[in-house]
Amino acid sequence: MTGPPAPAAGPAEPDDPTVVAVERDASGRHLARELSPGAFLAPRPLLPCADRLRIALVGTRAGLLAGDDLRLHVSVGPGARLELVEPSGLVAYDHRGGRSAWRARVDIAAGGRLDWDGKPFVVAHGARVDRTMEVTLAPGARMLWRDTLVLGRSGERGGSVRARTRAVYDGRELLVEDLDLTDPDLRELPGILGPNRIIGSVTALGARPPGPPHPYRTDLAGPGAQVRLLDTEAPAMEAELTALHEHWRTENENENE
Amino acid sequence: MALLAPYLLADGRLPVGAHTYSAGLEPAVAAGLTRAEIPALLRARLHTGVVTEAAAAVLALRAALRDPVDYAPVQEALAARTPTAPLREASAALGRGVHRLARRLAPGHPAVTALTRLHPRPLRPVTLGALGAVLGVGEEALAHGVVYDELQTIASAALKLLPGDPLDSVAWIIAAEADAARTVAEALAVRTPTELPARTPPLTEQWALEHDRRERRLFLA
Repeated sequence: MTGPPAPAAGPAEPDDPTVVAVERDASGRHLARELSPGAFLAPRPLLPCADRLRIALVGTRAGLLAGDDLRLHVSVGPGARLELVEPSGLVAYDHRGGRSAWRARVDIAAGGRLDWDGKPFVVAHGARVDRTMEVTLAPGARMLWRDTLVLGRSGERGGSVRARTRAVYDGRELLVEDLDLTDPDLRELPGILGPNRIIGSVTALGARPPGPPHPYRTDLAGPGAQVRLLDTEAPAMEAELTALHEHWRTENENENE
Repeated sequence: MALLAPYLLADGRLPVGAHTYSAGLEPAVAAGLTRAEIPALLRARLHTGVVTEAAAAVLALRAALRDPVDYAPVQEALAARTPTAPLREASAALGRGVHRLARRLAPGHPAVTALTRLHPRPLRPVTLGALGAVLGVGEEALAHGVVYDELQTIASAALKLLPGDPLDSVAWIIAAEADAARTVAEALAVRTPTELPARTPPLTEQWALEHDRRERRLFLA
């Protein structure tokens, strides 16, 4: 299934981005054009699959500390299909007054598909992290994104995070969100988070998944839909979102057959 | 006209259908919000959705004064920042009332005719920009109008939803002044639709989805 991953040029520098670039050749075979480990995450191909590449993003360094700048570039070529798996979540630790950043850039070409099964992003007490997700979809491209933000480890009020998402489909903005959870006093106001500290979402971009309505599903103005759940504890919500993610993923598959 | 215009714009008696809207209060009350929490809700709104709405109205007003008038960039930016379908629908329904008023006042005005060309239907802040152009209201007065209207909408809906001393509502609005001023300043500083703020209030969105499924309700949203 895959061509050989591009050899990494020596150990990753602190600011090196992790790069995952996959393509599908004329005969329909998937190949990884580039798999470069960054300073924090190394892409590792998983068991081959006939119709897609599956790649795990494996953590190579302890979470996020002050001054860290995690960057991730993902690109999916025309008609190619990529599944990104995270074996474990990520913790932003106490930054002791500093800041850190997590920045992902995703480009999906026409007919390409990305399924990103993100694990919890935990913002511990004292962390101050800026997280940005920039997604560019060509016409007919799709992305399914599972995402969980957790404010604080158990018993903590949680650090500061600003999670921004900007998805552009066919040159037009499809979804722009700015979850500004930097100030605990503001984010705990009624209507923002109230007492909740876990924000879990499944977001479909590029297509509206079919299927029975979920009570918290919303269809975007353009092609896309989202279900977001809030909770004070993780387990119940995790199970529900996992089921929903699986449902949307397989429905998308059936539709293509 | 410009003398009375800012008052008209901020007047809840303006016949644009705003009485059907509680700016999220009814869904919040159904989720358990108490009367004592209303000032906190006002603050939350001023830091999230209202910044987007006021900034979008200002961008629409600027677009309305250009030749040719093209609202599509601000309308699209606003729709991408309003992911919750019932909130977009409520905004379009309220926009229709404002559009109707603008058309009655100045049917041939380019700011008004450009609204008709928008598909899907113009969202409320876009129509407020058009109405502002028709009335000759400046951007600062428009932004103040949008912010004030939001506060007053919640405060007056509270009279029906969480009855208490009506004089309280005035005190709530005055207490929100500092946050309101900050919201107006932030809205005026936005230069392009791409810069339009998108501060997400997750609970407000969730409550709007719950409200949309309810059969018995007083307000649209």
